[in-house]
Amino acid sequence: MAFNRHLFDRHARRKLVNYGFVGLTMAATAVAVIALLLILWSLVANGLGGISLHIFTMDQPPPEMPGGLRNAILGSLEMCAIGMVMAVVIGILAGTWLAEYGEGSKLAEVVRFLNDVLLSAPSILIGLFVYELLVRPLHGFSAGAGAVALAFVATPVVTRTTEDILRLQSNQLREAGMAMGAGKSYVIRAIIWRASRPGLVTGALLGFARISGETAPLLFTSLGNPDLSFALTQPMGALPTTIYQFALSAFDDWRALAWVGALLIAITVLAANIIGRALARGSHQS
Amino acid sequence: MNFDAKQADVGSVILPPPMEQRVLDVRGLNFFYGKHQALFGVDLPVARGKITALIGPSGCGKSTLLRTLNKIYDLYPGQHAEGQILFNGENLLNPREAVEDAPPAAGLAINGDNARLRARIGMVFQRPTPFPMSIYENIAFGVRLHRNVSRAQMDEIVETSLTRAALWDEVKDKLDKSGLSLSGGQQQRLCVARGIAVEPEVLLLDEPASALDPLSTAKLETALIELKQSFTIVIVTHNLQQAARISDYTGFMLMGKMVEFRPSGEAFVRPATAAMRDYVTGRYG
Amino acid sequence: MSVETAGPSRAARQDAFFQALCFSAAMVLMATLAGLLIALVIGGWPALAHFGPKFFISAAWDPVAEDYGAAGPIVGTLVTAGLAMVMALPLAVGIAVFLVEFCPSVLAKYVSMAVELLAGIPSIVYGMWGLFVLAPWFALHVQLPLFYVVDPDSFWGHLFEGIPNGANIFTAAMILAIMVLPYIATVLRELLLSVPTHVREAAYGMGCTPYEVVSKIMLPYIRRSAIGAVMLGLGRALGETMAVTFIIGNSHEFPRSLFASGSTIASTIANEFAEASSDLHVSALLALGLVLFVITFAALVGARLLIGREKA
Repeated sequence: MAFNRHLFDRHARRKLVNYGFVGLTMAATAVAVIALLLILWSLVANGLGGISLHIFTMDQPPPEMPGGLRNAILGSLEMCAIGMVMAVVIGILAGTWLAEYGEGSKLAEVVRFLNDVLLSAPSILIGLFVYELLVRPLHGFSAGAGAVALAFVATPVVTRTTEDILRLQSNQLREAGMAMGAGKSYVIRAIIWRASRPGLVTGALLGFARISGETAPLLFTSLGNPDLSFALTQPMGALPTTIYQFALSAFDDWRALAWVGALLIAITVLAANIIGRALARGSHQS
Repeated sequence: MNFDAKQADVGSVILPPPMEQRVLDVRGLNFFYGKHQALFGVDLPVARGKITALIGPSGCGKSTLLRTLNKIYDLYPGQHAEGQILFNGENLLNPREAVEDAPPAAGLAINGDNARLRARIGMVFQRPTPFPMSIYENIAFGVRLHRNVSRAQMDEIVETSLTRAALWDEVKDKLDKSGLSLSGGQQQRLCVARGIAVEPEVLLLDEPASALDPLSTAKLETALIELKQSFTIVIVTHNLQQAARISDYTGFMLMGKMVEFRPSGEAFVRPATAAMRDYVTGRYG
Repeated sequence: MSVETAGPSRAARQDAFFQALCFSAAMVLMATLAGLLIALVIGGWPALAHFGPKFFISAAWDPVAEDYGAAGPIVGTLVTAGLAMVMALPLAVGIAVFLVEFCPSVLAKYVSMAVELLAGIPSIVYGMWGLFVLAPWFALHVQLPLFYVVDPDSFWGHLFEGIPNGANIFTAAMILAIMVLPYIATVLRELLLSVPTHVREAAYGMGCTPYEVVSKIMLPYIRRSAIGAVMLGLGRALGETMAVTFIIGNSHEFPRSLFASGSTIASTIANEFAEASSDLHVSALLALGLVLFVITFAALVGARLLIGREKA
């Protein structure tokens, strides 16, 4: 009986510890969820009120003047679009090489690893690199340099997703294509790419989500421009750099515009993330 | 060859051990994987100090039945059981139900507590599952969960358990080596030793020899026969010879039903149902 | 016959061209990283040559006197990232364990989505939130009360010394922790899910409570890869720029207390590079970039060696 008594105490203690542990894991999860809600709430509370048509029709103002974010929004769109075109072309081709041609080769191992490094490399270093590569030799900040910097940030994302997605395709599909007498490159382009299309779109969307909020690579490449400009050779405004400038300023209306910009970026990025991941899930299930 | 339900229904012969010998008694058990029913009104009386073997073609529900006995299926939402699993004076599936003729309580009420239940009904799995720690720690780990033991006592428990599992001689010089460094057969006996070290009343084994070579299997069987002096054993196996060699009772299952349950000697020599006869003579592989 | 001989050769030429195209794309990636490294080395060389080892030890960072020592930003980077990991790791373990072991499946979908969204928020948004929401709250509800309670000459007093405006190393680490949290939690979750079912069942089968299964079996089982996950998060925390720039207070002083303002390598570059006029200043900043590259590279290599690629 003494043994049972002992067992009971020990058992009760273990049970208590377990409940405490479950409680702690719940608390940790709650912290993350609450942090997300707090951040989203701040964005909505501070940014939603400022959204009006002016945001999209007027350029960024001097302090204490009415204005919008048109130049920054369009600048961001232009640089992201150009950057994405470069990233998608290079990323899909490089991912294809890794998945279809690099099988077992040492070089592919190295490329794969360096891509992972690039994927997690601090984006501010990309900014420094492009500065040394384009801005300094050409004697001036330019939207083109900004787009290239964004491309370097997005390319590893696209490469990685492309490789992962292509690897999901069965070898039977490849063999079936080859068995019909098609060349390898034709099989890849006409069959493998087509079968992987949702996944490739996901990769592009994730890349886009990554760069549309990127600030650091633009600071010393496209610099920023208070006026509307589409020229690739000139400095260009972008939402993140404008937000950075406005948020750290002493003017209330600039700060208000910064919140609006932050809300717009957050919506864009989160939407791209959600759509991209939903697409990925859909293609995994089929 | 496929079984059809009609054939399975032809005769069901149950010759259970007397009530007072039972330590675990399953009555009218239905089991569901989500909406799919896998067991249909199964009875399984388990006699104390005996080896009960569950046999039948794959998919017949023998492993499912075994996994209800320690409620390990509880880990997976969507799986549930209905009916009675009587142990320690209560129905494990419904602790509040008053049961008159259950095997008597021999310890604290389980009362729906799985940790307490599994300390008294241990399990050895199909694949060897040494934990990522030393051989010694693999055994000490479970013991320490349930009681405080001095170093000397623990040494003794480790030695006794390993000896009973017929592994001591092979590992006594490398107790601090990882459990994963052992061969498959040794790993499985380590799992048996680990299971009995916590002194459960019942030990469940789910096809413990299916991944082992014949020699390891023979060693494991020898260990099991020794073990029934102190433990009640329920073993699922697809190996008829194994069931015949080591078990005292045999339950033959088919399509989620208990078709035949009898003392093993008679069951194998003179199967009572057409289905078991077909199975024993190898017609269903 | 002629068609057949022409066909394969054309297809073969096409194949070769396509393969070469893909190969060049892969080489562009390699060239990018190589170029990045070369640019930093070449650009940073003048400063490294000028100051020698003193560059890493000295805490002077004086653009006016043209005297540059990187100890402040380097220590700031390591301290903020390290603190962030200390805060994020227990939370990440908690989240991963909750999702794998305890979360009802109905809820799991939403919790995972929240974690994914947290990872998706751009760093500039974290920065704004840190500066305008977290910092004032922290100043009012943590720093000021401590100010009155703690004796300024005691050990704690020195640890908590600093202007109570919430813009300091500690709050920067808090923001970093929230930012890396989803990455670590996601990898840990994948790792926990990779623990073989039979090991988990065996542990439960012995009568372990869920706590015992997780802490004594599953976490030890994934220990090695889990360290990799931590280093992956560390790599991100080390190089994070905008969020930190907003909230760390941007002082080049060598950090002397938890609540002192400071700087990191990334925040220093972000703040000064576009304004740097002298060659030595630019070079010093590029040398800082090189240091950052080496540190993050080391963390990433470590992470990669410890976790398999699939889960990273």
